[in-house]
Amino acid sequence: MRDVIAFIEQHAGTPRRVSFELATAAKDLAAELGGKAHAVVVGKGASTLANTLKNYPIDVIHVAEDADADAYLVDPLVDYVESVAKATGPAVILVPYTMIGRDVGSRIAARLGGGLTADVTEVHVGGGRVVSVSPKLGGLTVTSCAFKNVDYGIVAVRPNTFAAREQSGAGEVVQLEKPATKSYPIKIEDDVVEAAGELGVEEASTVVSGGRGVGGPEPFTTILKDLADALGGAVGASRAAVDAGWVPHSHQVGQTGKTISPQLYIAVGISGAIQHKVGMRTAGTIVAINKDAGVPIGEFADLLVVGDLFQIVPELTKRVREAKAVPA
Amino acid sequence: MKIVVTVKLVPDTNADKRIDPATKRLVRTGVETVLNPFDEYAIEAALQLKEKLGGDTTVTIFSMAPETGKEIVRKALAMGADDAAMLSDAGLEGSDVWGTAYAMAQALKKVGFDLIVCGTQSTDAITGELPGALAEYLGVPGLTYLRKVDVDGTTVRGERETDNGYQKVVAELPALVSVTKSINEPRYPSLKGIMGAKKKTITTLSLAELALDRPVGSDGAKTEVLDLAAAPVRGKGRMVNASDGADGARIIVEFLREKKLL
Ligand SMILES: Cc1cc2nc3c(=O)[nH]c(=O)nc-3n(C[C@H](O)[C@H](O)[C@H](O)COP(=O)(O)OP(=O)(O)OC[C@H]3O[C@@H](n4cnc5c(N)ncnc54)[C@H](O)[C@@H]3O)c2cc1C
Ligand SMILES: Nc1ncnc2c1ncn2[C@@H]1O[C@H](COP(=O)(O)O)[C@@H](O)[C@H]1O
Repeated sequence: MRDVIAFIEQHAGTPRRVSFELATAAKDLAAELGGKAHAVVVGKGASTLANTLKNYPIDVIHVAEDADADAYLVDPLVDYVESVAKATGPAVILVPYTMIGRDVGSRIAARLGGGLTADVTEVHVGGGRVVSVSPKLGGLTVTSCAFKNVDYGIVAVRPNTFAAREQSGAGEVVQLEKPATKSYPIKIEDDVVEAAGELGVEEASTVVSGGRGVGGPEPFTTILKDLADALGGAVGASRAAVDAGWVPHSHQVGQTGKTISPQLYIAVGISGAIQHKVGMRTAGTIVAINKDAGVPIGEFADLLVVGDLFQIVPELTKRVREAKAVPA
Repeated sequence: MKIVVTVKLVPDTNADKRIDPATKRLVRTGVETVLNPFDEYAIEAALQLKEKLGGDTTVTIFSMAPETGKEIVRKALAMGADDAAMLSDAGLEGSDVWGTAYAMAQALKKVGFDLIVCGTQSTDAITGELPGALAEYLGVPGLTYLRKVDVDGTTVRGERETDNGYQKVVAELPALVSVTKSINEPRYPSLKGIMGAKKKTITTLSLAELALDRPVGSDGAKTEVLDLAAAPVRGKGRMVNASDGADGARIIVEFLREKKLL
């Protein structure tokens, strides 16, 4: 394994933030291995995105402006990644640990008979081998895993753990040929965007989450959303809030939701049950707002402010907006 | 139509999970084992399809797990599935995602299916990689992360969750789907279901019965655990009482400034 291939996840020309994190990680790892960093961009808007990618340290950008990638689920993406992998020879393939990334990663691993590591927060070369580090068991342990007896190692990288770095690489753009394929089996009949332009909880560097204490659906689109917007972040939720039907499941943080590592996590009206904790314990800083001084989240939050969320959150939004307008 | 639900047996989340430093594997003895909670949604989805389709539709539970897991598989049967098949073999110990998907695919070909229903992820590993790899090895369409699923005639259609909405997806059978927890509310087994499950058949398959052309278990694994370390503990931080909203906001803003987050 010498070269490193980053799969660039995008939707209608808009890249996911993690894609630039992957592009940077690919270069750093390729430098350690003495190989090249490649990016694979497929689908509508791929050419424009390829230009943006020139601002990141990538050596070769493989592009396929192929509408099939938007009309059919996953299989076209896997075919293109496979064709690049076969052209580079033994390689590390970085995919994001997101819904699409997991599908691409697992299928390409099966297809190439490669090894797979998931939810990876660090990757490096140790003793001549590629080593992936990932939290396991709800973050209780950290494991280091090496590939063995394989030509391809697929590493599914947790969003928000690698820093993206703007720095031009060779940026050679190569048009990919359409792989000769049978027809694609899964048709996307409709692609419904309900929350356009919203950052997902996995990708946001700040997440403001609400729990049962928030009391209903409304605050999620008003006071919590306002605070998240002021901080440039996303709105998350506990399972209690999701099960009550206040917020869609895609916002849920925890064991049966998403595992996230934002720089800042603000838990509003959330008690901090173990199943919630495993989804956010690797956040950089945790702030909790709760009216109960004895809540479990107080045991692991960096700051617990005891008070009424309905009073504190709007005031906090105001202060954050002021602070951002006039940098201290 | 034959629906097969894949279920994983996992250590109870509330139980104290431990990793054996020598083998670097999860210790599964002495810890209560349960059905992976995500797979209950898969079982429920399959049962609802059976109820809707009627006729000769059957639901089979499939698990790759040691034979000691039989009693937990029986719980899945108690929810209303017709029968079960287990792939149990000492040679499977130490399998990684690759080996698990490969061996399961061969076993599922033997069991036979029109539709496979998986959970999206497991609570012990949380890799969420098995359904994709399985679809690839089986050579069938893999419709993952569905929050709605329906089958009619020879087609499966569903709504796939995305990060900002959903996609309507459709494919021909045979196919594999994975379902998220927003799809349904799993039922509790009834007393009748629990009694009935005792009489249902659980077939056991071993590796010898499968035509494997490559090694599985630890020998076939493509990843190797080098090291396990305890994660840094998150200690108790500061606790401050806010006299009112403005005071609470001030405390947080000062804290964020101190942490250079604002
Ligand atoms: C298998 C399994 C999987 C699970 N997966 C998840 C998961 O993925 N994610 C998850 O979050 N949970 C999960 N749970 C559920 C988890 O155990 C808890 O039930 C859940 O996290 C509780 O949500 P909560 O903190 O919002 O509610 P509660 O525990 O009810 O806490 C509400 C908090 O709000 C505070 N509050 C109320 N009013 C105010 C106010 N006006 N101002 C300030 N504070 C206020 C209260 O003091 C309380 O601390 C799972 C459980 C199981 C069994
Ligand atoms: N050993 C197993 N036996 C049966 N099904 C499994 C097994 N491992 C994983 N699965 C299925 O694959 C899904 C995802 O698991 P995982 O990829 O391990 O997170 C689970 O919800 C199960 O439906």
